[in-house]
Amino acid sequence: MASRRPEPIDPATTGFGDAAALSAADAAFVAGLAPPAPSAYHRLNPMTKAVAATVESLGAFVIGGYLGPLAIIGLAVLPAAVIAGVAGRLVRISLLLTLPIAISVVLVSVFTRAGTTVLFTVGPFDATLEGVDFAGQTLVRLLAISTAIGLFGLTTESRSFVLDLERRGLSPRFAFVALATLEAVPAMVERASVIASAQRARGLDTEGSVRARLRGVLPLVGPVILSSLTEVEERSLALEVRAFGRPGRRALLWRIADSGAQFAARALMLVALLAAIAMRLTGTFPRLP
Amino acid sequence: MTDTPAVVQTEGLVHVYPEGTRALDGVDLAIRAGERVAIVGQNGSGKTTLVRHFNGLLRPTEGRVLVDGADAAGRRVASLAASVGLAFQDPDRQIFAGKVRNEVGFGPRNLGRTGADLERSIDEALAATGLDGDAQTNPYDLGYSRRKLLALASILAMGTPVVVLDEPTTGQDARGIGRIRTIVDRLTSAGRTVIAISHDMRFVAESFGRVIVMRDGRIVLDGSPAEVFAEPAWPTLASTFLEPPLAARIGARLGLGSTPTDAALVAALEPRRNAGGPRTTAGG
Amino acid sequence: MLQLTGATYRYAGYAKAVLHEIDLRLDDGEIVGLVGPNEAGKSTLCLVASGLAPTSIGGDLTGSLTLDGTPAAGLKTHELAERVVVGFQNPNTQRSGIAATVYEEIALGPMNLGLSVAETVARTREALARLRLDHLVTRDPLRLSGGQAQLVAIASLLAMRPRHIILDEPTAQLDPAGTRLVGEALRSLAETGTSLLIAEHKTDLLDGLCSRIVVIDGGRIVVDGPTAAVFDDERLAGLGVEAPARTRLGRALAERGIDPAVVADAVAAASSAADADGPGIAR
Repeated sequence: MASRRPEPIDPATTGFGDAAALSAADAAFVAGLAPPAPSAYHRLNPMTKAVAATVESLGAFVIGGYLGPLAIIGLAVLPAAVIAGVAGRLVRISLLLTLPIAISVVLVSVFTRAGTTVLFTVGPFDATLEGVDFAGQTLVRLLAISTAIGLFGLTTESRSFVLDLERRGLSPRFAFVALATLEAVPAMVERASVIASAQRARGLDTEGSVRARLRGVLPLVGPVILSSLTEVEERSLALEVRAFGRPGRRALLWRIADSGAQFAARALMLVALLAAIAMRLTGTFPRLP
Repeated sequence: MTDTPAVVQTEGLVHVYPEGTRALDGVDLAIRAGERVAIVGQNGSGKTTLVRHFNGLLRPTEGRVLVDGADAAGRRVASLAASVGLAFQDPDRQIFAGKVRNEVGFGPRNLGRTGADLERSIDEALAATGLDGDAQTNPYDLGYSRRKLLALASILAMGTPVVVLDEPTTGQDARGIGRIRTIVDRLTSAGRTVIAISHDMRFVAESFGRVIVMRDGRIVLDGSPAEVFAEPAWPTLASTFLEPPLAARIGARLGLGSTPTDAALVAALEPRRNAGGPRTTAGG
Repeated sequence: MLQLTGATYRYAGYAKAVLHEIDLRLDDGEIVGLVGPNEAGKSTLCLVASGLAPTSIGGDLTGSLTLDGTPAAGLKTHELAERVVVGFQNPNTQRSGIAATVYEEIALGPMNLGLSVAETVARTREALARLRLDHLVTRDPLRLSGGQAQLVAIASLLAMRPRHIILDEPTAQLDPAGTRLVGEALRSLAETGTSLLIAEHKTDLLDGLCSRIVVIDGGRIVVDGPTAAVFDDERLAGLGVEAPARTRLGRALAERGIDPAVVADAVAAASSAADADGPGIAR
């Protein structure tokens, strides 16, 4: 079968084909397979949330200064996080993720940034006001990015995002690779725990000295890699048997709703971002604190 | 038999998994040296959870587990492995060596075996599982069923007094099953204890002297194959989605009492031979 | 109809052929059992009969495979998938890894075939019903027991409604109840015209299910004939294949001079009584 050009998808239908032929009970069950969405923000289409995260992150850079990034965090990201009920987790995770980078940024910028006003000196290094300022601005930008992306990650299931992309035209094969990659870790963890039990049953000491544990690395890691590699061929055959290689679109069982309003919001955000970038490039962007 | 020491014992054993599943709901069990015990029951009955307590991979939520007469709580898994060898179902979840011989040697080495003693343990295990000709082969050049035998050899070489087998016959052909039967025989005639989880009722009836039936985390039947597969026990078996071997069902249908194995059925039919069957006997 | 003619197959990178001049035919609605010792070539034969060897894994095939008149050589793997599916022994490798629930796992095949949602749902429901898996629909496929995973893998293949199904030891991980469940499902599938090739050690299962048995040894077909005749063949034991219970018992009795007819009725009755009670629900 030659692959057709993708049809324009009407977000209001459940897929192409006989949507009406589905019984009410079946339709309800199938719709219920979608991941749970406990808040209004969760229920937004993944594309909307992705665009928001992108615009917020890039916007923080484009606007610059302190006010811009902080305004983005305070007026866009945090209120959304509160609606989604993830504000506490978001703050904790963002700080945790940003901290290592922040430390190195601060150390580097504070001491190496060319500047005139020296605040204090440590050894051969001068801490300048300009350096502190730069570090500060970089930090708030990093925070804006991590909170924006973190919000997306906390409110969007990877499956929802990938399948929504497929609905919009992403090839099912790319979708599969993306999903399989994302799901690879839990499967690996499961595998590793079975392996650890089997090796411990053979006397491998995982509770002893550091040296004993180091000796255990090969018997623990070896089977993870070996079994994964030997399974690869059979796995890919099993996938081909299930027609994963077939070109063309698929009718997906469930979808995350999209709406005209969300489409407009995405367009608006992108336009605003592009405008800001244009203004930056032409030097017409106002200086902000 | 009651004065033979119990090598593995549980008292009021309860195990609740972190997600809340109550996999064992009060198990009292004593297994003595030299016994051949089969543990049967459907998925979720607690068989696997139970045997994982024998070498300390799982610890009791309530109750105790005794190995060699002492509380297992005081011993690490690496130490209990010297008393109880547990062969896992999936060989690919433990193979890491490039040669069969080295793979088999891993267990005994961990237990401190060295030199001629170590080599002998490996040789014997390879011979018992029919892998002696493949000692230098890469484990992944063996087929799946022979890799299962390799996993078994890896435990046998450890020379533990108690050997626990998890579904040893799945994927084996008749030859492989024969080997496993012989291994069970040899282990018990050397005084070692064999515990096996299996859903092959025929293998259970023919190779084991004691059958423990589990359901919902409890032991519901515990006796010889003749007792456990006898007709009065069938409703209990059915409640855990088990059925007795065909020989037992035929024997019951013919009113011959409990005949859990082909041999028992044939023996029970012997008197009929003389009781006027349509054919004359040819030899005895 | 699936027809394999004069098939000799050598894996890529290996010097020796694993299958030699295999002739095999599966008519619509036929259930054929494949037995033989391990490493005789059963799994390879399953791969060749499904067209995956050589189309997907390469290697050298002389001879031909035709599926309902179409030569398999010219087909792409997804075109093969529309006609014939093959199930492997290891349920882990047959899990797609991308489905969050058993329902979606089973629905993947039909979805990949480009079917409408309604059609996908219908086929998924049917496969679930055939293997009594309705109580597992919302479970995470990663968290199933070996037996459950194997049933889900088989259901995932059934949902594709292929004309030919090849299964390599489908009941390896299953208990007797699960084994019977699969046997029942396959029997009713054959009634719809699907042809089936089942490689198995459990000759009791094949005894009740197959009209024909093929015995393979050393990469060659040694016997190919009606079930009863093949299982009564004395050569089987030497080939590492154990005869089904009724044959074994019959022989043991005959050896002792007891008329097997004494038990023949009881055997038949005991076997069918178990079937009548129905297999239990797979947990």
